[in-house]
Amino acid sequence: MNDVQEKTIKELEKIPWFKELERKHLEKIASISTLRHVRAEEVLFHEGDREDFLYIVLSGRIALEIFVPHRGKIRIYTVEPPDLFGWSSVTPIVHQRTAGATAVIDGLVVCIDSEKLRQVCEEDHDLGYIVMRRLANIVASRLLVTRLQLLDMFAHPES
Amino acid sequence: MVAQQIARPVAIHPDHLLQPQWAEVLSITHEINDVSTYWIKFTDPAIQKAYTFQPGQFNMIYMPGFGESAISICSDPNDHTKIGHSVRFVGNVTNAIGRLKVGDTVGLRGPFGTYWPVKELEGKDVLIACGGIGLPPLRPAIYHILRNREKYGKVILLYGARTPADLMYTNEFDEWRKANIDVEITVDRGDSNWSGRVGVVPMWFYQFRIDPRKTAVLTCGPEIMIRFVIYEALARRVPLESIFVSLERNMKCGQGSCGHCQLGPYFICKDGPVFRFDALQPFFNVEEF
Amino acid sequence: MPNEHRPEIGSTIVIEKAALNSILSRLREKGYETVGPRVKNDTLVYAAIERLDDLPHGYITEQEAGHFRLVNTGHSRYFDAIPGAQSWKQFLFPSRIELFSLRQNSNHWETSSPQSKTPAYAFIGVRACELAAIQIQDNIFMRPDFNDPIYRARREHVFILSVDCMNPAGTCFCASMGTGPRVKAGFDLNLTELEDVFLLTIGSEIARDLLKGIPSEPASAFLLRNADQALERAASQMGRTLDTSNLPELVLNNLDHPHWQEVGSRCLSCTNCTQVCPTCFCWDAVDQMSLDGKETRRERVWDSCFNPGYSYQAGGNTRPTIRSRYRQWLSHKLGTWKQQNGTLGCVGCGRCITWCPVGIDLTKEIPMLQEEAH
Repeated sequence: MNDVQEKTIKELEKIPWFKELERKHLEKIASISTLRHVRAEEVLFHEGDREDFLYIVLSGRIALEIFVPHRGKIRIYTVEPPDLFGWSSVTPIVHQRTAGATAVIDGLVVCIDSEKLRQVCEEDHDLGYIVMRRLANIVASRLLVTRLQLLDMFAHPES
Repeated sequence: MVAQQIARPVAIHPDHLLQPQWAEVLSITHEINDVSTYWIKFTDPAIQKAYTFQPGQFNMIYMPGFGESAISICSDPNDHTKIGHSVRFVGNVTNAIGRLKVGDTVGLRGPFGTYWPVKELEGKDVLIACGGIGLPPLRPAIYHILRNREKYGKVILLYGARTPADLMYTNEFDEWRKANIDVEITVDRGDSNWSGRVGVVPMWFYQFRIDPRKTAVLTCGPEIMIRFVIYEALARRVPLESIFVSLERNMKCGQGSCGHCQLGPYFICKDGPVFRFDALQPFFNVEEF
Repeated sequence: MPNEHRPEIGSTIVIEKAALNSILSRLREKGYETVGPRVKNDTLVYAAIERLDDLPHGYITEQEAGHFRLVNTGHSRYFDAIPGAQSWKQFLFPSRIELFSLRQNSNHWETSSPQSKTPAYAFIGVRACELAAIQIQDNIFMRPDFNDPIYRARREHVFILSVDCMNPAGTCFCASMGTGPRVKAGFDLNLTELEDVFLLTIGSEIARDLLKGIPSEPASAFLLRNADQALERAASQMGRTLDTSNLPELVLNNLDHPHWQEVGSRCLSCTNCTQVCPTCFCWDAVDQMSLDGKETRRERVWDSCFNPGYSYQAGGNTRPTIRSRYRQWLSHKLGTWKQQNGTLGCVGCGRCITWCPVGIDLTKEIPMLQEEAH
């Protein structure tokens, strides 16, 4: 384990669901991850980009945006620590980013190589099960938030 | 809430049903697109002097020819010179209120209803989760907490609106932050000029660690939002008795007589609008009840 | 023989039926408006009566779900006709009354309160179920925290001449609700009609004074036994029954029961039941404004939870379907009313069954909540 990976493991350990992992699993994930500092307004990826990384926000705030013709870029969600985004890259269907990600303020993210994560999960089903379970939770809560946004509950009653 | 001592409303006429006292519009604050705050004072100085309210209570505002509307009081209970009502323009009566000018007269009866139990919450952490037009009824409670800050533990305000343009009272947030209230804002959707959060109020329970043994949750807003805030609070083991909700129903008399505002056994105007959730639970989720 | 003494409160005397005329005229001399049942347009209404013969002498009523007929059988009694659609609530809680009026004066409003004198009513012929209903409404309109001045002013002056029911009709179930057919308390005079005489039980000082000098005798044990037996017979001849042992829980635990949908598909949401029900109390306040906007009159009118606008507020209607509104009415009347007021809200008078245009019968709907319960 080199310094960078030790640092990565230390950061990962701060995230609640990583505490569940055994040391060897943590090391495997650290070996396929990088830490990345982002500056305010920095674009991490655009809609349409190849899906390459799963991201975890350690500090700062990332906005997910979709471009709508005539309306511009709409911010549909912001990701706060210790939430993650870009999860669809782990079980890809579209193989392209369906939203863009921009840093709102300075921050620090963990970038996990999605393809390598898939391989690692295939090789070690114990680790794979934990990762997929966690992703399922994330997706479920995202879905709930999206549904509540869809209900437009603050809309003016006459509109 | 049955245990509260509700003082007899000052601004009513005990011998003549529904007869209002009269009040003058002192000033009007345009808040957001369809909401303005009306600052009023009773024309009879004796009534103005005697008038007091608890945070969470409401007045019935009367527009002759149109009718009455129940509006929560959104001003500081300690300020006896004027009373504030943030009004959303959605129907006949509220649109008539929207045509008022400074100096005009309105009828007023009140205050009515149960209130946020700010005294009982001393010593606890307080999580206020609200959205849209749900913030005005909570603002008097916030003012009370500000004035007695040392009596409370952690205080968090989670406030959401549809878009950044729909956020109310934004010029006060910094002052509240300075007084050690954690003010967290979110909108349903934003544009690239918005550097704040985009999401919904209930999801913040994922962000903030709360101690269910000493946290009280106060919530007000669209009933959907209230429902999901409660789900999240209960999932984190906040006891039902520590969750307080303010509800809204069609009100006509404000005094538990005309029947309109009933939800199950409760008259929202007299047994509410503020409820402790354990009392509400059997009836709250019944569809169309 | 003439009785110079005033009969004691709680005692029962016997009078000639014609002596009721003296009681009525004395009441009117004291300033009471004597109102009681009268035949009008082939039905029974509560209206001004002056003498015994104004009462529905010789009539009975045939009542069934969605069916009412007034029938003259030629019998000799005055109080055998079970009431029609009207109840005494229209006198204590008028269906329409002015609250105040306003006149504009530059930028403010001048208020004036209505000047009419509060009538003093003498209710003649209040049935046990109706008396129970008045007592229920007393609890609603005159509470420690809220006192309706209109109801109170009228109620304070009411003289109640109640009557035991000897001949219940097809939709009656007061026995099930514990409200009748015998009148127990809350009256000034209670009348029991036998074949040839009236028995009168004294309930108040006012009644004692009223009877001074009217020829009467203490009721004999024989007559009292007659009356008891007739009432026991009446109690066993109710047209309907309702098991109340599992109320209000049966209703409160079945708010999502599929049967509400079934009733909801039959109910027309016409509000008849709430109008005829002697305990229903919902009201609305409406402004009648002059065309030039310079004057307005605010009135209180009866409202009904079946009205679509009843639960409308900004953002929509919380009870948009008939199913939800029917459930509100019945789950209130036989459910949540108990927590609000200490008793159930139904007195078993049967009016809602008789006057429902589609014949919905709550004594049949309630037991359905026990079927296929989940």
